[in-house]
Amino acid sequence: MMAVFEKSERLRHIGHLDIQRAVQRALRRSGLPVSYSKGFNPHILLTFASALSTGAAGRREIMEVQLDREVSPEEFLEAMRTAMPPDMQISAAKVLDERHIALMAQVAAADYTLTLDDGAAAAIFAEKLEDFLAQESIMAMRKTKSGMKETDICPLIHDLTIQDGAIHAVMTLTERLACKPGMLLDALAAFCGMEEAPRALVVRNRLLGMTESGELAPLETL
Amino acid sequence: MTMYEKIEAMLEKVQKAPRYTGGEMNTTVKNWDEAALHFAFCFPDTYEVAMSHLGMKILYHGINSQPDMLCERVCMPWVDMKALMEEENVPLFSLESRTPLHQFDVVGFTLQYEMSYTNILAMLKLGGIPLLGCERAEDAPIVVAGGPCAFNPEPLAEIIDAFMVGDGEEQILELNRVILEGRRAGKSRAEILKALCKVQGVYVPSLYDVAYNEDGTIRAMTPNCEEAPEKVMKAIITDLDSTYYPTEIPVPYTEIIHDRIMLEIMRGCTRGCRFCQAGMLYRPVRERSLERLADLAVSLENATGYEDISLSSLSSGDYTCLAELIRELIRRMKEKRVSISLPSLRLDSILKDSLEETQKERKTSLTFAPEAGTQRLRDVINKGVTEDDLIEKVRDAFQGGWSSVKLYFMMGLPTETYEDLDGIADLARKVTAEYFAVPKAERAKGLRVTCSASVFVPKPFTPFQWEPQDTQEIVREKQHYLRDKLKQVKGVNFNYHESDLSYLEACFARGDRRMGKVLLRAFEKGCILDSWGEHFKYEAWREAFEETGVDPAFYAFRRREKDEIMPWDIIDCGVTKEFLWREKEKADQAVTTKDCRKGCNGCGLQRFKGVCSFCG
Repeated sequence: MMAVFEKSERLRHIGHLDIQRAVQRALRRSGLPVSYSKGFNPHILLTFASALSTGAAGRREIMEVQLDREVSPEEFLEAMRTAMPPDMQISAAKVLDERHIALMAQVAAADYTLTLDDGAAAAIFAEKLEDFLAQESIMAMRKTKSGMKETDICPLIHDLTIQDGAIHAVMTLTERLACKPGMLLDALAAFCGMEEAPRALVVRNRLLGMTESGELAPLETL
Repeated sequence: MTMYEKIEAMLEKVQKAPRYTGGEMNTTVKNWDEAALHFAFCFPDTYEVAMSHLGMKILYHGINSQPDMLCERVCMPWVDMKALMEEENVPLFSLESRTPLHQFDVVGFTLQYEMSYTNILAMLKLGGIPLLGCERAEDAPIVVAGGPCAFNPEPLAEIIDAFMVGDGEEQILELNRVILEGRRAGKSRAEILKALCKVQGVYVPSLYDVAYNEDGTIRAMTPNCEEAPEKVMKAIITDLDSTYYPTEIPVPYTEIIHDRIMLEIMRGCTRGCRFCQAGMLYRPVRERSLERLADLAVSLENATGYEDISLSSLSSGDYTCLAELIRELIRRMKEKRVSISLPSLRLDSILKDSLEETQKERKTSLTFAPEAGTQRLRDVINKGVTEDDLIEKVRDAFQGGWSSVKLYFMMGLPTETYEDLDGIADLARKVTAEYFAVPKAERAKGLRVTCSASVFVPKPFTPFQWEPQDTQEIVREKQHYLRDKLKQVKGVNFNYHESDLSYLEACFARGDRRMGKVLLRAFEKGCILDSWGEHFKYEAWREAFEETGVDPAFYAFRRREKDEIMPWDIIDCGVTKEFLWREKEKADQAVTTKDCRKGCNGCGLQRFKGVCSFCG
């Protein structure tokens, strides 16, 4: 079963592992026939399409849970409505084909809204946005396992607009390559000559996958 | 910026934001305006400590289950958050609705340990409430406090408006009712406080005057109005089965200290260890029935999703039908893969088999608390453990595949000599010998015996309430002696702590109103979070004593006379002073007292017919 859930703004400081544990407990509360792994220390078979970083909220995050017997999406939603904390409600559920490609591998990009506290900074960004995007390459620092690495994020930005003090961005997000909101903010700030990036409330609106024709589309619709 | 936005901005900067965000499963956010009474449940320590406390969870849901009352949680912010709040002028707020502390009708603290007292001051100040009761305006919250330390309320007499002594489940609702009715009727603060005297176990310190003798001891504590009783009798819940127990307990997102279901199987203890304050305060023993506990366990699991459950009480091994209870819990919770943490010391063999079958076996370390090193001293403290018992259990454990054992001792117990310290080292050596006696192929690798020795703190309402604490010099000498002794035992680690904290704890535990001055001064000097080693400022405390002219030795190191009026004599904890003195005299002669389950010892609870199931 695939489910679309929210990580509300209130919970944005909760890390991924804690969110994972919260979902496991919710599943245990729900009374649904969840499957456990075999072995010495059985755990609930639960995966997430993409870990959401600490500090960010998510509108349509995606998880998949294995069940021992068939359960309709309606039944699933009903059981999880009271089992999930009010700030982590599930909005949609769908039965997945058993032989589907792992959700994690299907994620291609994500759609974000970054609301800036500092209206002045937002105005500067809006003014310089066109020039920023006109660059041939945009170098940004990216955290990797082996340390900081410089990456050209130009090809990773699919869409970028600014309206009412909020940045709206669609950026590549794969296991191999990604432009994270922090990288974008740093690059924008550097381009505008700011000493440090302004603080922004990061909301991941949805995860996107690739259709057969190569278009980005919400992951849950694929 | 609104306060909400300010808080949001601060959360970006602090170390552990989830401490302040709320929104956990099973927390209650009621409509503020629809509640007639707003109660702030304050835990004077950090979120992780607070959320591990069972009493808070019980009372939180107890108050919220009243249609006209609302209860929200407030914890002590960590230093980073506190500094930001002061900088940004954000008052201490509740986790649920982020309401400033001073907007609540009742602000209630739980007093779990003496060294959290400076945090109470910090929370009041940060919450915009004057520190002293006499400085609070008519419409300021009524500040109340309960918990074990409320049994000697005097050091906080000027700070707390009313103390709640005893079992809180029913008392706290009654207290709230009286305050609510008083506010509705337009009564003054002073009138409401007087009206609170009629609630069982409530002590209002401002209604008593204290007179002192020339030597600094108390001459008299007398009520200064007719509402105040001569003695305040603690509140007692007689039947635990019929009292409120929440099943929808909050489930934090982040890991806390006790991250599991805690099922209180009984309250009180019949063993009568003479150093143990809880063993006296929580008398009589009351057990929840097996049926009720099994039902509760299932409901708790369904409401929380926790995978672990632990049985909670002062000595779970004494629960009358423990084996049946555990079997029933295993039977009913097997399907949901719930593991049950048990009092490891009293498992009969049949039980062991059924456990091995169903439970994930975790061979973590086993803990034993002989408390003292020789049989003589164990008799003095009435700790009914013999060396043979202990060695037998340790042998079982090593043969069963354990290799790690923790031994807890106290240092500085009344009548202790260096022979008793030698006894600790001997016992540790015998424990290691049991390990090496198991053939190498059959035992787990890596023997680890941890010996911990804490510094004894004499507590009110115990037979040792008259006894002096060892001076810090003596404690240090003893610690060094034992450290050197234990160095010679292979496989043993010795743990001990600076005695400064225990010394202060001793001052507050048996302190009177004058200790309140020291507390206020120490707080002014920047003392907070004293039980967090890195923030403990002993030097500032020392200065606080000096500047207020209060002698700490008077509280910690002085032997009291039999008939001295103790600051806590105003409270009747159920156990009588006569019984405690009898026990003290037996201790002096190293004579033990039997477990109450084997016959009544006349501790005082027999005064309330039918309250204790083991008395006459």
